[in-house]
Amino acid sequence: MRYLRLYLHFLRFSFSRALQFRLDFFFKIIMDLIFYVVNIGFYKILFLSTPSLAGWSESQTIVFVSSYLLVDALHMTVFASNMWWLPFYINRGDLDSYLTRPVSTLFLISLREFAANSFINLLFAIGIFSWALTQLDYSYNLTDFLLYVGLILNGVLLHYVLQMIFIIPVFWTQSNRGFNDFFFSMGISIERPDLIYKGPLRWVLTFILPFALIVSFPARIFFETQSESLLMHLFGVTVVMWVIMLTFWRKGLKAYSSASS
Amino acid sequence: MAIKVRNLSKTFKVATKEPGLAGSIKSLVRRKYLEKTALKNVSLDIQQGEMVGLIGANGAGKTTLVKILAGIIHPSQGEVSVLGFNPWDRSDELRRLMALIMGQKAQLWYDLPALDSYMLLKEIYQIEDTLYKSQIEFLADVLNIKDQLKVQVRKLSLGERMKVELMGALLHRPNVVYLDEPTIGLDLMAQKAVRGFLKNYQKEFKPIILLTSHYMEDIKELCQRVVLIKSGELIYDGALSTIQKNFGEQKRVSLSLDQIPELRPDIDPLLGSFEWHSDKVILSTTRQNLNAAMEYSMKLFTPNDITIQDPSIEEVIESYLRKGFQ
Repeated sequence: MRYLRLYLHFLRFSFSRALQFRLDFFFKIIMDLIFYVVNIGFYKILFLSTPSLAGWSESQTIVFVSSYLLVDALHMTVFASNMWWLPFYINRGDLDSYLTRPVSTLFLISLREFAANSFINLLFAIGIFSWALTQLDYSYNLTDFLLYVGLILNGVLLHYVLQMIFIIPVFWTQSNRGFNDFFFSMGISIERPDLIYKGPLRWVLTFILPFALIVSFPARIFFETQSESLLMHLFGVTVVMWVIMLTFWRKGLKAYSSASS
Repeated sequence: MAIKVRNLSKTFKVATKEPGLAGSIKSLVRRKYLEKTALKNVSLDIQQGEMVGLIGANGAGKTTLVKILAGIIHPSQGEVSVLGFNPWDRSDELRRLMALIMGQKAQLWYDLPALDSYMLLKEIYQIEDTLYKSQIEFLADVLNIKDQLKVQVRKLSLGERMKVELMGALLHRPNVVYLDEPTIGLDLMAQKAVRGFLKNYQKEFKPIILLTSHYMEDIKELCQRVVLIKSGELIYDGALSTIQKNFGEQKRVSLSLDQIPELRPDIDPLLGSFEWHSDKVILSTTRQNLNAAMEYSMKLFTPNDITIQDPSIEEVIESYLRKGFQ
């Protein structure tokens, strides 16, 4: 409850701050919209020359892509700016003042900045997704729908946890450009349907660095009968990654040397 | 004892590298580390209500000590207890009782008025409504910043910003306050205001205040007790007046002259030394030799004015840090 109230403060702050910089606010929204159009357009063009992609039809793929946009918008809204600043906080010693506050430091540094402009884009992403769903030959079903929402949120969480795991080494290395770049190149695998990955690569991308789980698995709800093993797989991996991240974070804090004044 | 430090040591491992690109490549393959000792065997006790000044050169280990006490970094060795807690357990209970103020680092939301940030702090520290109201009123009043609380922090002057930062750090009425350079960069008026405020606050609420500052004025004005740190070691812990007394042995006598003699006479180095200026000569000596040195000087000159000075506290501490008590 207390954490919810704290989060409401963050929301309030972010909106009042975002609205102070109006031009920047609208510009960011337009940038993201262009990103959405490019993404959908890419697959539209692809499907001009092929009837199916890894077994998915055009309308199925568009549901997948709009799910990706949804996860991306959620991530951008809730976590992205925090994740962007975190390495600097650790490097320049700005973590100090967060560490002295009587609340979870992880909570503060992960959720402090809510991106109000991306929140507007989230609304667009929801719109695009609803449109994609109407294109699909699919009969609406509430259970599927709720499950989908749960899995998308799980995907956002998994994405956050993975990104944290790639940021935390900065406690030791002081510079995490390498890790970060690796994370973002790996991140491309989120944007592709998971069925295109075969063999050992598939194993890596669904267990060790489970990027392929983030969007593909939720999207599949609408065009495959979901199996329990799929859900178990998804939640199991999230829990394990979460525990790894927390352990890693604690070790990082222990090694934190805090740049001197 | 409210703060207890025993045999505290902290070493950092610092990667070293020879200059240039070749050095960088070499350090990529085989990195050499240098063990840097930030703190060595420091022991210290502070009681509730004490205000202690922490003094040392840059890199002496002051900030490291404060950061360990605040639970930000882990020590390599030794024990620390703050109000009965181990600070680097970072329990919420202890963190609610302390405050860390760093003059060089802003902690409030830059783009918002301070009052907005205070609302968040109220939630973070779970401050009761009544305490919150009375603290806001009290602090805004003594700091004289009622009107600035509704202005975006980034639009405030440096002095006003320090005041709103101070206010934010003290809202929850902490029992332990670590103040790292609270007056850095402020003009004299603002420095004076901040000092006056700290003095009042200390009198009113009796927290422990551990103050690090490069401005000797801060220390002189606020702390009866000082702790000197040199290269990570605690070299003095005691009353400020004791240091002054020890160095009070030194005397400087300024003799104003109508005319500087062409042939500048010398003085027996056992008695003291002369330092020549355009309109005066300054005699440095000890209290013991003062009479003899003056007698000798008066034979040489007929000064139109004489002043005898004790060395300033800055000079005292500086020479103390350089060579210790003689």
